[in-house]
Amino acid sequence: MDEIHDATSEVACDVLVIGGGTAGPMAALKAKLRNPAARVVLLEKANVKRSGAISMGMDGLNNAVIPGYATPEQYTKEITIANDGICDQAPVYKYAERCYEIIQELDRFGIRFQRDGNGEYDVKKVHHLGTYVLPMPNGETVKKALYRQLRKAQVLISNRFMATRLLNAPDGAIAGAVAVNTRTAEFLVIRAKAVILCLGAAGRLGLPQSGYLWGTYENATNSGDGYSMAYHAGAGLANLECYQINPLIKDYNGPACAYVAGPFGAYTANSAGKRFIECDYWSGQMMQEFYNELQSGKGPVFLKLDHLHADTVSEIETILHKVERPSRGRFHENRGTNYRERMIEMHISEVGFCSGHSASGVFVDEFARTTVPGLYAAGDMANVPHSYMLGAFTNGAIAGEHAVDRAGEIDWPEISQEDVAAELDRVLAPTRREDGIPPNQIEYKTRRFVNDYLQPPKVTAKMEIGQRRFAEVREDLETRMVARDSHELMRALEASSILDCADMAAAASLYRTESRWGLYHNRTDHPAKNDSDWFCHTILRKEAGRMISEKRPVTPYIVPIAEDERGAYDRQRVRRQA
Amino acid sequence: MPLAHTPSTVPVTVDDAKCIADKGCTVCVDVCPLDVLRISDLTGKAYMKYDECWYCMPCETDCPTGAVSVQIPYLLR
Amino acid sequence: MAVTDPFEAFGDVADLALDLADPDAAVRRVAVLALAETADPEAIPHLGGAVADPDAGVRRQAAEALGGFDGPGTAAALCAALADADPGVAAAAAESLTELKDPAAGAPILPLVAHADAFVRAAALRGLRNLRLATSLGPAVGALGDPEPAVRAQAVGVIAYLKSEEALPSLIGATRDPDAEVRRAAVGALAFSRHGHAGEAIGHALHDDDWGVREIAADALGRAGQGTGSAALIVALDDPYWQVRQKALRSLGQLKAHEAVPALLLVLADARPTLRKEAAAALGEIAAPQARAGLAAIADDTDPDVRKTARWALDRLPA
Repeated sequence: MDEIHDATSEVACDVLVIGGGTAGPMAALKAKLRNPAARVVLLEKANVKRSGAISMGMDGLNNAVIPGYATPEQYTKEITIANDGICDQAPVYKYAERCYEIIQELDRFGIRFQRDGNGEYDVKKVHHLGTYVLPMPNGETVKKALYRQLRKAQVLISNRFMATRLLNAPDGAIAGAVAVNTRTAEFLVIRAKAVILCLGAAGRLGLPQSGYLWGTYENATNSGDGYSMAYHAGAGLANLECYQINPLIKDYNGPACAYVAGPFGAYTANSAGKRFIECDYWSGQMMQEFYNELQSGKGPVFLKLDHLHADTVSEIETILHKVERPSRGRFHENRGTNYRERMIEMHISEVGFCSGHSASGVFVDEFARTTVPGLYAAGDMANVPHSYMLGAFTNGAIAGEHAVDRAGEIDWPEISQEDVAAELDRVLAPTRREDGIPPNQIEYKTRRFVNDYLQPPKVTAKMEIGQRRFAEVREDLETRMVARDSHELMRALEASSILDCADMAAAASLYRTESRWGLYHNRTDHPAKNDSDWFCHTILRKEAGRMISEKRPVTPYIVPIAEDERGAYDRQRVRRQA
Repeated sequence: MPLAHTPSTVPVTVDDAKCIADKGCTVCVDVCPLDVLRISDLTGKAYMKYDECWYCMPCETDCPTGAVSVQIPYLLR
Repeated sequence: MAVTDPFEAFGDVADLALDLADPDAAVRRVAVLALAETADPEAIPHLGGAVADPDAGVRRQAAEALGGFDGPGTAAALCAALADADPGVAAAAAESLTELKDPAAGAPILPLVAHADAFVRAAALRGLRNLRLATSLGPAVGALGDPEPAVRAQAVGVIAYLKSEEALPSLIGATRDPDAEVRRAAVGALAFSRHGHAGEAIGHALHDDDWGVREIAADALGRAGQGTGSAALIVALDDPYWQVRQKALRSLGQLKAHEAVPALLLVLADARPTLRKEAAAALGEIAAPQARAGLAAIADDTDPDVRKTARWALDRLPA
């Protein structure tokens, strides 16, 4: 079991989708439905049936733009403001226009959205800005429903294959990928005319406070492999310094789900049971307020439900303990926490990259195209800000359709056998050592340094020390890491992705010499926002083997933001004395 | 440089009397995102081989016979 | 040589079904799982057969598996399983029945509305609701007279999804049902109608003994959009349950009820921040100039949500 086999096979396809979580299945399905003659491969490190951020489903949509409740213009405006203005609006607007069609499609797949007494979508008003929440009472069946559609469409599913590197053609366009089986260590070389990266967040970057490597906010499989592969293929990655940090239940990895409990009257409170969040938007500014309260004498921070009627609390529990994080109920039970009697202690998560909740991802345009020809990205790893689950589905669909069209117009790009051989050598190196450092220790050390040196508030001197420590770990990873079986080999490859992401996080954070996005990029030695120098994206990419950062202008807005609205984000920085 | 083994209590446990892995069932092993479950060569039953658990629960939810149970890892409890 | 096939195999349904005849129930169970995974409609008759397996575990697995399929064949198999002696099998069948989308699935379900077992009747109605078939209306109206409250509640659901004005008297009748769950469903269902009688019945429900019914009525009046509801909603601002008051505030905002402004201004001084916020939001929706002073007074409220909402509401007032 888990022995290392020496074998390599090669296959060719029109569209290769890497990652079978949320965006990936939709991308593969849409590509196949648009051109049933196309060969579409969906590659997944785990098993498509239960992989990714929504492995156990999702309790609702929180960015549903449904006609009659919200407009694409309104949504685009809010996302632009929530992202401190650093936002190319075209992909956001396109998402907003198409997401309702995707909701209806998911509905046809058998994913049920909450309906009112008359069978209409029961859209919840969360705040006065927009109405975007649509609960999913049987959200736990999402993955099963998607899987059925993939089987019906005869998408080729390749489970337990982990992609390790993309292959570029001589002209730089994408030509395929190398993957390794996580149970046998066999290689699969996949030639493709287009590749769609849907590998999720870099969620195993910071270390959870519990010290348990796997107790991350994101599904712990999401080790940033997509960010690392995109980087090595030459794609530009945008605004990585705009970290993901989320509120969660202390010690438990689940979100506090204020947006689920909110419509029922629950809220985030300080230890006096008082509300304290001034910010209107789910944003780094909100997280800064959360952080400040935690650090202040008024902390810790709690989710407050104990003022609600017992029946209402039961209703909330049914949602929160059934879908997305069903072990939540068990966690509270162990500690004897009853929502009716006591507020629930919250904390903030470890840092990561994720566009689903913030804006750190591979740069894409409104067709999900990266800066490398033939390479697409969608979902948490593509930088369409705050796109969440519905964004992954919608942008995955856009990517799948565009990619299959491209594939119909070109021949298979050439791949270099030397590149393939070099990659096989790199991957297998830890298996060829008799002894050395196991991957879990390499990973632990990397992630502890991420916490020690890269967590906001970000300090230049600390981040520079972090870079030196990462270089030392890299030396160990490249010369001493040992993998004794194929499972450990997967962990070794993940450790390598994590280290790449740590280096990218440091470089991106040092490059932007201002503070922006509240806590996400709070630099103590550059505390002010500096629009004259930094109202732009930062793009990090690999050039001639080196990591470089550059500025990229924000594309002129298609939905204008009035001057006073533009300042809305800044006004929230002023904390009122309660 | 020899490797040491550090014991840890595993979050996922399997009731051998209920498990039907020996009859060809591979559900829990298939659905685990972190691929930490295996079927024992000795007993033919499923067990947790690697303590790398996201306590996400598909193994428990999807088990056709209710043989699998997931606890929160001790460090987080 | 590759040890592993890189792609998931598409198993042959007939081959997989052979194991359904195995003497070992566990093997049959594994076969059901494999058949479900094919997502191939050819598997339906085999799963339909497994619903009659001697082993309850296999039957439950088959009833669950059928939820991934559709059509009259699936519906017929599930209908048979609804009456299973094992409650686990029956519950799984009832759940799977709600997954059906094909209108042709309705035919085998309809006769079960008159089944001897109340569980079967309720499950059949629940399955029919999502199909929204005109032919379900008659049986559902009849089921409003069912002795079992759970059946009556499901019958309300079927009628409500059909949004039939013709069935309005039956729905209004159900708002006076002895069972609170039925009343809650009926009151919520009336929001679709613009008929005066519907509005009256919802208004009447604001005086229900059950606070849950009153809460739904307060919410439904806003959704129904009948301006005549505002007087009743203003009265509901004195309800003993704050949850009812909150919904009433929201509905008054939705109705843009200018006549409610004096009452809403009083709520701005409520001890509960949630209600102060809701009142401020309603005043913003109504955008009545006479609310300016009241809103300005809470723009420095101790609660940030109240402050934010007050600022938003002030921005909406005409200059």
